[in-house]
Amino acid sequence: MSPISLHRRDALVGMAAAALTPTTAGLSTFGLGATFAPVPARAKTRRYDLRPVEVAAGVWMIEGAREVFAPANGGAIVNIVLLETRQGAVVIDTGSTLGMGAEIRAFADDRLGGVATVVNTHHHPDHWFGNGAFADRQIVALPQTAAACAQYGQDFAASLYAILGPWMSGTSPLPASGTTEAGEARIGGRALRLLALSGHTQADLAILDQDSGTLIAGDLLFLDRAPSLPDADYGIWLKALDRLAQLQPSGTVPGHGGFHRSSAALAQTRAYLEATRARLTQAADLGLAPIEAMSAGPAPAFAALGANPEEYLRSVIHRWADHETEALPLVGGL
Amino acid sequence: MGALLTSLLPGGDRPLILPATGAAAVGGDPFDSGMWPLHREAYLGKEARWSNDPAIAVLAPKAAENSAHVPFLIDATALPGRVDEILVTVDYSPFAHAMTFRPGRALPFLGFAVKYEVAGALRASARIGQDWHVGAAWVSALGGGCSAPSVAHARPDWQLGFGEMRARIWPETGRLRVNIRHPQDTGLADGVAAHFLTELFLLDADGAEIAALDLFEPLEENPSLTFLLPQDLARGEVTIRARDNLGNGFRGKVSGAEGAP
Repeated sequence: MSPISLHRRDALVGMAAAALTPTTAGLSTFGLGATFAPVPARAKTRRYDLRPVEVAAGVWMIEGAREVFAPANGGAIVNIVLLETRQGAVVIDTGSTLGMGAEIRAFADDRLGGVATVVNTHHHPDHWFGNGAFADRQIVALPQTAAACAQYGQDFAASLYAILGPWMSGTSPLPASGTTEAGEARIGGRALRLLALSGHTQADLAILDQDSGTLIAGDLLFLDRAPSLPDADYGIWLKALDRLAQLQPSGTVPGHGGFHRSSAALAQTRAYLEATRARLTQAADLGLAPIEAMSAGPAPAFAALGANPEEYLRSVIHRWADHETEALPLVGGL
Repeated sequence: MGALLTSLLPGGDRPLILPATGAAAVGGDPFDSGMWPLHREAYLGKEARWSNDPAIAVLAPKAAENSAHVPFLIDATALPGRVDEILVTVDYSPFAHAMTFRPGRALPFLGFAVKYEVAGALRASARIGQDWHVGAAWVSALGGGCSAPSVAHARPDWQLGFGEMRARIWPETGRLRVNIRHPQDTGLADGVAAHFLTELFLLDADGAEIAALDLFEPLEENPSLTFLLPQDLARGEVTIRARDNLGNGFRGKVSGAEGAP
């Protein structure tokens, strides 16, 4: 499987057509007889109006839209968790923009006694581009995550500025300054178990809050939102799901999708990975060109998931070579 | 569109990607502006007779997820008459001419992927005698596809597996797919010399040419190509021969004969 593959040529989305195509919709105001409304000298400050919900004792969740990056959602497509401790909040992931990070920070400052520490679960930008709002606090991630953030931060920024436009105002990548590792941690009296896994990316941190029994799974788990596979390794991800299955949490916050007290995300993520792997293997084995595999769309059972077909289209582009190598025998060379 | 295999996958009978025609195929420009008039003159000829023809289908994603690998499929099998050649150009690319395909005894059908430097249309101009039939698809892209070094270039061991050729024939559908491990460096990235494939031939069991491709810088790294062969050729032996700009030759053999591996 390929190493982390995102670089500056990646658009992050199956989307950009809409975002990058100019439209003339706004011009109609200037038609004959139209009254000129006063034009503000500056764009109105965009606000996310994030709504944290206490899903378990001391576990606050901000739920993201089950969509891909788009101007309409401003990048608020990811789940954020704040754990209440005596020293302030443990903030798990910071969102896609400085503005989103600032709203998360404001909630921690106003309601949870400040910020004890910030954790980034992995290097995809919706999970750490809000770090700038926590620059005066300790920000930690797995070592490979911090390295990947440093390596790909500028490329992600270019893509996100193109897609999200003004929502990105003031955002610049600030990778985690500290590293963390697997094991038990106690922060402000709250006991956490950190699991260093991989499969969604090369380094995926999952956190079990021992006090409430809540699993904060990062993007190892998705629910009713298509998993994102550009940096995925199916086999390693499935093994990580086996590890998570052993935890028997009282409740789960997936990286994308709702809080739940069942094993629904575990089952759905596993089924999606297996079905998508099987579909692309079948496509390559039947002699399809990648554009035909894309055109066929996601496996029918998963076509209605949030962020599909966009995520499926991305998956074909990024994972196709793996399947093709299996389907085409070696026949010659230099 | 009978040559497409999309419907072989469950749910694939309602394809997401359809060929665009008219203004939608070229980014909505009604003025025939931009590079296309120049490319027409340079590659099709000053006095060339040409028309946009919905009978030549060009499939592409609306947006490039990865500007280094933007997949296309050209299906000119619905054109009336024998297609002599298909010239592929990219409207806004530092290398406008991506490839020329001479289908010969293969069908006028070709799948490939190219690097994209900026959003724009890719055009497929199929020549039948003196007439050019043109299809196009417009792709939104953030860019950087042509000016970035290949991924292989960053690896100290890039020569491991260099030139490796993988291929397979599906006799029941006539498909032939081939993949060659090659960095396909364009020469635009700082300090990285141009290194790309320049030609590829399909030959029959007697060594006679079936089809030929002239290739240029835009072709993706580790390129995969999809061809469509008539039944008789798809059930025989096919040799694939390629060459790059540094003089390296690549060779492989596949067979669609019954009992062939």
